[in-house]
Amino acid sequence: MSARNSDRKRELLGLYNEPDDAADAVSRLRGAGFGGNDIEIISATPYPEGAFGEQHAKHRLFAFPFAGAACGLAVAIAWHIGAQIALPIVTGGKPIVAVPAIIQVLYEGTMLGAVLFTVLGVLFESRLPDGIGVYDDRIADGLIGVSVIARERRIPDAQIALEEAGAVDVLSKDGSLMRPAAASP
Amino acid sequence: MIKPEAVGLSLSIRPPYRPSTIAINRKSALAIGVGLLAALGVVMYVVKLFSWGDRAEWAYPAAITLFVLSAVSAAPLVAFASRMARGYWALPTRRVVELFALPSMVLFVLLIPILGSLPPFEQDGVTRANLWFGWGGGAPFLTDQLAVSVMLLAGGALMWFAAVPDLAGPPSRVRAMPAWKRLLFLNWTGTKRQWIVLRTSMRWISAFYLMMYVFVTMILTTDLGQSLLPGWRSGIFPAYHVITSFQGAVALIVITLYLLRRYAPSVGQFIGDEQAASFGKLLLALTLFWFYFFWSDFLLVWYARLPSEVAAVQTNVAVTYIVPFLIAMSGQFLIPFVTLIFNPIRRKLARLTAVSVIVLIGLLFDRIRLFVASMSSENPFSHGLAELPEPYYPNAIDILFMIGVVGIVAAIYLWVLTRIPTPGGWEMREGAMYRREQKYMHAEVLLLGKPD
Repeated sequence: MSARNSDRKRELLGLYNEPDDAADAVSRLRGAGFGGNDIEIISATPYPEGAFGEQHAKHRLFAFPFAGAACGLAVAIAWHIGAQIALPIVTGGKPIVAVPAIIQVLYEGTMLGAVLFTVLGVLFESRLPDGIGVYDDRIADGLIGVSVIARERRIPDAQIALEEAGAVDVLSKDGSLMRPAAASP
Repeated sequence: MIKPEAVGLSLSIRPPYRPSTIAINRKSALAIGVGLLAALGVVMYVVKLFSWGDRAEWAYPAAITLFVLSAVSAAPLVAFASRMARGYWALPTRRVVELFALPSMVLFVLLIPILGSLPPFEQDGVTRANLWFGWGGGAPFLTDQLAVSVMLLAGGALMWFAAVPDLAGPPSRVRAMPAWKRLLFLNWTGTKRQWIVLRTSMRWISAFYLMMYVFVTMILTTDLGQSLLPGWRSGIFPAYHVITSFQGAVALIVITLYLLRRYAPSVGQFIGDEQAASFGKLLLALTLFWFYFFWSDFLLVWYARLPSEVAAVQTNVAVTYIVPFLIAMSGQFLIPFVTLIFNPIRRKLARLTAVSVIVLIGLLFDRIRLFVASMSSENPFSHGLAELPEPYYPNAIDILFMIGVVGIVAAIYLWVLTRIPTPGGWEMREGAMYRREQKYMHAEVLLLGKPD
């Protein structure tokens, strides 16, 4: 195998009947030297964070509402100040740009930006257009998937770790890696 | 001890419990009846549009619109509250209440002619009371509709995101979807990251929905209420409106749960005394709040005795609209208070439903006394009422319009029940993982896990 091929990354997916087996697979993978970022849990039901000993999944969703709120506020301020400077009419002796008079619309603009960016943030953070590479419909039937991304030369280590934890099946992009007799339906 | 429904505790994780949509036969009496009522609503809306008329013509449509804002649009907030408070008792009801975000959309359409009928802020050099300081950038029409749109967007997003894990199906199905559809389904595969993002987004969007709901209530109740009835000045009224809206929303949810338990066993099997007891407590608390907010508002006017404020209170409370007020007070406070203090009524869904029907009737009459009085007020530019107005009675079109709007809301809700699985499957499965009944000495107790 050339050095270039051995550096290429591949994904393996182990399927487990029981949460305990999936947790065992995660600890075996980490014991074999795979980093937390390379391991992903896939399930049809949300398990508590850290239940499988997996690394905390980082996301930046919290940044989107703040960015959206800032953009919405900026647009609302520009709209108002622009309108009031373009047509300066003194009302009741108040300043041309009076904050109490425009605060409701600033709020609306801020909230519009925050909601829109949050929705966009959910789409972005759901990893569109590509999510996990290898998948199996048995996860929707209740099996728990442990996905690991490994360099080509470390694929055998990953497969051993997944199988030793009691995997029902281990899959790569090309299909099942387990012998037909070993892989239960 | 009030026990949860046993079926909810023993849900299967593998194979996973999957909720189904509710099948409603299009030829059933329910579907035909609700469909006819919805058609009536559409026809009456068109009739009103063509006859247009002055602001008073839209008085009763404004009252029913504010009723929808109160009872229907506030309902999804119950899901938010129960998630924030880790209230597992509400698990079977969360999807049921989130689906009310869709019928809430009628608000946008209803408000178009109502806001369009409002007088300008300034006329013949006289400015009427308003929240917008005479701002000419499209207020109140554009500003109110923009606020309502943001609220509806948040509600729609909340309903959809919460339903994605149940709607998406297996990953192969999602992968086979065209790109735009995959986008809608968040490319759902069920990774840990996706679950975390989903939960976080639901928390954020729910909070935005609450913030917008309160804001929309403030501006709509001012633009359609206080700014039109001379002398009506109240800082506490928007808060009163929000609280009574929550009361109406809880009543609507209780009625919906009762109907689902009775006629939709796939949902009803999870609904029982546990939900009744919790909603009963909420309803009693909100009933007591009614008195607090009404009295706080009333006492100031009564004590200060400013003639313009007294005239406004005489209009929508004591003289002109006294009949709707008495019905509202009975329905929103007296009857629920006297009945809900008794456990046997508060803890049984059927009895609680009867009280909830009374609460909703009270809420409707409350909105009539408040917004018909203001929308039919002759001169919103004066500083006080010179003499008390005559009651503005509804005509046949007004009554049919209000019935029709209820029909439209019911029809949309029934339609969405046939499209989105109910109750929420993933939350129900999660709840089953964390709740267990266990023997403790001679008693059975509920063990509850709260992971976050």
